[in-house]
Amino acid sequence: MTDESSSSSAAAERLGRGRLVRVWDAPTRWVHILIIVLIGLAWWTESHDQMDWHIRIGCALLGVVLFRLAWGVFGAATSRFSSFVRGPRTVLGYAVKLVKGGAAEGGVGHNPMGGWSVVALLGVMAAEIGVGLFCVDVDGLESGPLADRVSFQAGRAAAHWHTVLFNALLALIALHLCAIVFYAVVRRDNLIGPMLTGRKRLSATPDDPGALKPGSPILFWMTAAGAAGVAVWAAYGFKV
Amino acid sequence: MAVRQGGRGGGWRSAVVATTALAVMAVASAAAADVVSVIQARQTHFKEIGKAAKAMAEQLKSPTPSVAVVQSSVKQIDALAPQLPSWFPVGSGPMSGVKTQAEAEIWTKPDAFKRDAAAFADAAHKLDVAAAGGDLAAIRTQAQAMGQTCKTCHEAFRQRDD
Repeated sequence: MTDESSSSSAAAERLGRGRLVRVWDAPTRWVHILIIVLIGLAWWTESHDQMDWHIRIGCALLGVVLFRLAWGVFGAATSRFSSFVRGPRTVLGYAVKLVKGGAAEGGVGHNPMGGWSVVALLGVMAAEIGVGLFCVDVDGLESGPLADRVSFQAGRAAAHWHTVLFNALLALIALHLCAIVFYAVVRRDNLIGPMLTGRKRLSATPDDPGALKPGSPILFWMTAAGAAGVAVWAAYGFKV
Repeated sequence: MAVRQGGRGGGWRSAVVATTALAVMAVASAAAADVVSVIQARQTHFKEIGKAAKAMAEQLKSPTPSVAVVQSSVKQIDALAPQLPSWFPVGSGPMSGVKTQAEAEIWTKPDAFKRDAAAFADAAHKLDVAAAGGDLAAIRTQAQAMGQTCKTCHEAFRQRDD
C-alpha cells in the first residue's frame, strides 16, 4: 500500500498537484466523529428531558475522551501530544506569520495554535464529563453515576459547573469552526477533508514529512478495550 | 456646595434630610432582611426535599435497595410538601430585588401555582403510603409520578438554572 500511494503521489507531483500524504490515522478520525455525534446527542437529550440517555451518552463520551488522551501518548505521530504541544515562542511566531499572511504551507499535523486548541477542547471536555458524573438535578431525582458519593448540595454545585463548562465548550467549538473557515477562505487550506479521509494533498514543498508513523496496534486494542470498559462501568454507576 | 450656600439653615435642613433618609433606609433594609430570611428559609426547605428525594432515588436505583431509607426519606417529603405554598408569601418574589429563582407567575397566577403545589403534596402523600406498603415496584411508579409534579411546577414557576 505504501509503494502504491508513494508512486501515485509521485505521479501527482509530476502533474503539479502535489503529493497525497497520510496525516491522520483512523482512530483519531473516528474519535473526532464520535465526539461530534455524541456531543450533539448529549445536547439534544438534555434539552428534551431524556436524562437517562443523556447520562449514558456522557459515559460513552468519557470512554472516547479517555481513549483520545491515551492515544495522545501511544497513537500515530500526528496524534501525540508530544508532537503538537508547542512552547509559547513557537505559538507566537506562528500567530505572527498567520496575521502577516506568510506563505508557509500548512504542514502535516496540528499547527502550533491548533495544538493548543486540541488541548483546550480535550481539557474542557474531560472537566465537563468529570463534573457531570457528580451532577444532581434540582428535584434530586436524576443524577450522574457518582452523585451518590456526594451530598445533594455538592451535586447541585456540580450541575452549576456542568452548565458553565458546557458554555465554555461551546465557545471553544465556535472558535474551532471559525478557524476552519479562516483556513478554508483566507489560506485556501481545506482542513475538513483530511480529517475525514486521513489524507492531505501537499503542494510541492521542499521538506518531505515522510510516512505517517502509526500507533502501536496492541496498545490501540488495550486502550480501546480499557476505555470502553470504563464507559460501561460508569453507565452502571461504577458499582464494584 | 449646596450646604455652604444655605448657611446654617441649609445645614439644619440637610441634617433632617439625612436623618429621614437613614430612617427610610433602615426600614427598607429591615424589610429586605425579612425577605432575605424568607427566601433563605424557602431554599432550605427545598434543599431538604431535594436531599430526601436524592436519598430515595439512590435506593430505588440500587441493586440492593434499603426500603427503610426510602420510607424515612419519603416521610420527610410528605411532611414538607403540604407546607410549600406558605413558603411563598407576597413580596418574596423577584420584584423584591433579592436573588431568587422564583418566577413572578407564582403571585400573578396563584390558582395555577396552588394547583401544582397541591398535586405535589398529593403525589408525595401517595408515595408515603406506597413506601409504607414496602412494594418496590409500586414505590418506583409513584416516585416517578411525584417527580413529574416537581417538573411541571418547576417548568412553570421556577427560573431555569444558568
